[in-house]
Amino acid sequence: MRALVVIERLADGVDELSLQALAFGRGLAGGPDVHALAVGEGGADLAPLLGAHGVSEVHVAEHEAFVSYAPPAVARAVVDLVERLSPGLVLAAGSDRGNEVLARAAAMVELPFAANCVDATTGDPLRVTRQRWGGSLLEEAELAGAPALLTVAPHVVAAAPVDGAEATVDTFTPTLSPDELAVRVVEHVRAEAAGVSLSDANVVVSGGRGTGSAEGFAVLEELAELLRGAVGCSRAVTMAGWRPHTDQVGQTGTKIAPDIYIACGISGATQHMAGCKGAKKILAINVDPEASIMASADYAVIGDLHEVVPAVSAEIRKARGT
Amino acid sequence: MLAVSGWLFVRRTLLLTRLVRAGKPVERFSDMPARVRSEAVVVLAQKKLLQRLIPGLMHAFIFWGFLVLFPTILLAVAWVVAREPSLRSSSPLGWLERQGWYALLADVFVVLVLVGVATALLIRKVQRPARFQGSHRGEADLILALIAGVVTTLLLWHASLIAADLNPWPAGWSPVSNALSTLLRTGTIADVLERVFVWTHVLLILGFLAYLPHSKHLHIAVAAINVFFGRTRAGGRLEPLRFDAEEEAELRFGAGTVSDLTWKQALDAMSCTECGRCQDACPAWATGKALSPKLLVMGLRDQLFAEGPGVLAGAEATPLVPSAVTDEVVWDCVTCGACVQECPVSIEHIDHIVDLRRHLVMVDSRFPGEAEPMLRDVERASNPWGKPQAERAAWAEGLDLRVLKPGSRPPDLLYWVGCAGSFDERARDSVVATARLLRRAGFDLAILGPRESCTGDPARRMGNEYLFQTLAEQNIRTLDETGARTIVTSCPHCFNTLANEYPDFGGRYEVLHHTELLADLVRGGRLSPAAGEADITYHDSCYLARHNDVVAAPRELVARIGRPLEMAKSGKRTFCCGAGGAHMWMEERASPINEERVRQAAETGADTLAVACPFCTLMLDDGVRQSGRDLRVADVATLLDESVSRREAQVAASAS
Repeated sequence: MRALVVIERLADGVDELSLQALAFGRGLAGGPDVHALAVGEGGADLAPLLGAHGVSEVHVAEHEAFVSYAPPAVARAVVDLVERLSPGLVLAAGSDRGNEVLARAAAMVELPFAANCVDATTGDPLRVTRQRWGGSLLEEAELAGAPALLTVAPHVVAAAPVDGAEATVDTFTPTLSPDELAVRVVEHVRAEAAGVSLSDANVVVSGGRGTGSAEGFAVLEELAELLRGAVGCSRAVTMAGWRPHTDQVGQTGTKIAPDIYIACGISGATQHMAGCKGAKKILAINVDPEASIMASADYAVIGDLHEVVPAVSAEIRKARGT
Repeated sequence: MLAVSGWLFVRRTLLLTRLVRAGKPVERFSDMPARVRSEAVVVLAQKKLLQRLIPGLMHAFIFWGFLVLFPTILLAVAWVVAREPSLRSSSPLGWLERQGWYALLADVFVVLVLVGVATALLIRKVQRPARFQGSHRGEADLILALIAGVVTTLLLWHASLIAADLNPWPAGWSPVSNALSTLLRTGTIADVLERVFVWTHVLLILGFLAYLPHSKHLHIAVAAINVFFGRTRAGGRLEPLRFDAEEEAELRFGAGTVSDLTWKQALDAMSCTECGRCQDACPAWATGKALSPKLLVMGLRDQLFAEGPGVLAGAEATPLVPSAVTDEVVWDCVTCGACVQECPVSIEHIDHIVDLRRHLVMVDSRFPGEAEPMLRDVERASNPWGKPQAERAAWAEGLDLRVLKPGSRPPDLLYWVGCAGSFDERARDSVVATARLLRRAGFDLAILGPRESCTGDPARRMGNEYLFQTLAEQNIRTLDETGARTIVTSCPHCFNTLANEYPDFGGRYEVLHHTELLADLVRGGRLSPAAGEADITYHDSCYLARHNDVVAAPRELVARIGRPLEMAKSGKRTFCCGAGGAHMWMEERASPINEERVRQAAETGADTLAVACPFCTLMLDDGVRQSGRDLRVADVATLLDESVSRREAQVAASAS
């Protein structure tokens, strides 16, 4: 059976998940008839790498739309190839983008689509096992129609290089309607200049209702910057509109696991602690010695954060001689 | 005329009947005595309408008028056919029209109906309450005009009968018609007027009959049926989905399209009269959310009527969300049941919403992402915060409770603590107090410790019925193994699930809320509180008061330990704290419900806000902190424990 695999490119090669999808598709196709779609300029450069992963022919879609991510345009390129190559299978990685592109392509050709598959058996209809509920539930489903469209859940198969020759290259221009150019990435905006994301930071300096205002976070931002950490907050703060929801640590916000979590003016409601239980150490700064957070804190300073935090920053500066 | 009107009426009625009959099965034929009772109380006695006095009386006048005057419709038709009494004389109608007392009743109720219509117009045109926002107001005006027209022509017809000396009843019995007849006594013209009025009267009625089933006024025919088939068991119980159903028709995963609605849900949709009482009571609507229970039901009705005939003919139905109801609306609901409590025609809004959620969650995996950790932790860690189960009994250290192991002696009383009480610092105060009080009263109190797990309430209210049923089965196995028959709970959500929902899965226990048990003990003298000086306002938890009728017990306790002050919205008509329906684990848009409730509590001038639910404790305490008010939020059990300790200290002091 012929398989077509949609490739997600990185600046210098191919996304690991796409290589996994290739391995999955190759196994399912049961033969060497594996095609790949790479969009955008320079796609032809991938021919040796893709060949080494078992691709016989790489189709490079060229269009000015492909300078950035443009999901309907990619989906149209997929549909163009489906019409031209009549593959039995169309696959992509079960990434956000892979799922989006195939969902759109499936809608265009009016066929069902199975996302996040962990296993598949050929036949008519094709049988798939796929992840639901973020992986806590497995669903067995039948996929009717040709081609069968599916994405491969991340890390269920390993990428498997083969002794393949370089893939041949076919360049084409998809026929894009104006509608299909409407959705595309026009600008990248980095969240917060600090550059350390809340979920990855080794140090998180977080503020609660005790900060008193949006301005009250200035001292926390200063300390976070000194420690190359990120600033977080509690739900009370987002409810009050002092910080965006993306900064919220907790059950319904971001779950974090830093080396140290510095919780300033946070009472430590269960819903908040559920978000920072992965922290290796917790330092609580709070005027209230009875606050719930004291039960979970490894270290505590009983005092007003507006005095304590600047004093800590000053000490760090002094120690560093800046 | 009769034929045309009758045909229009019958054709529409047949379609509506087919739509209802095509609904999915739901058990609503048991508890017949309770059904007859609610028909008498809710329909005949207009109990739910009279929850609001003036609009209630307005409606009752028109409704009772309709019942009393119904025979006059048949009489008018008979008179149109022929004036000769021979046609009627042999039937009960002929007897009735000769009765003076009936003529008097007719006169009185014609006036009452007109008073009702006038009041309705005053409400709609002068008072203009917000609850009509989004309703079909023009349609309502037309219906009121038709009702006024029908009874006015009836009155004029009766008057003209007297004027033409055709009245079969003694004229003196009907003072209004009689007085009016003097104006019509102008020679033979009265004879002609009689014909004009009876014809106009009958034509108006026929017009009404044809229009009725095509309008929102359909409730005249459907509401009584809907009330009859309303839920008879506790309001907090959700209808279980049968994943093991053998018949394909019985297998459903909530409601994705109109074809998935149960027949009761279809009836619900047809019963709505757009009165907006639900919308007025809804905490989500009151705080600027997208949800209005009225618009929700109207949306479902419109899609049912638009797609229903096609579906009956074999067409595919389209998804209800987001065309009839948006995703936002589905997730705004706190399942507090204020709408269900208010609805005069027994529409069960919560069942609609939960069925929509079930389909979104179980079939589409579509729900607010922030709630996913809760569902995952309930499944993996048996509690919504992912706390280690081993720490579940940590709060009970030093309280001398028995932690039941497999094979332990069955306890007199099992304390089902709940996740919040077990793990949350603020909620713990109440469970520690409850345990202390029950030990003081001499109970052999046992807990399950690490073997207790979430009852599944938040998962079920989120629509994850599958996860709920898994937990229910597991908990029932554990409970049955301990041999416990009587369970006391602190959390109204656990209480509702254990008492009302577990029986559907084979778990039958006597379940008490701690306020009920503690009130009993205080009444029996086993606990003696000291009278206190605090001004206490008690906030009813929806799952305790509205869904389970526990209203008096907590108030009894409050009255013994302080000075009670009532909020405007209390008892079964309480206002949610904002946590229900799994909202404890979702983010809230627009203005917060908890702050609104705290504002209402502060209005009473109380210094203490008493609660009886751990989630109310957390939400309202947060609301107090957010709004910076000077109010102490504490569970009734905590307050009672303090009071009993104070009294003990007083007794000890006076003894020494």
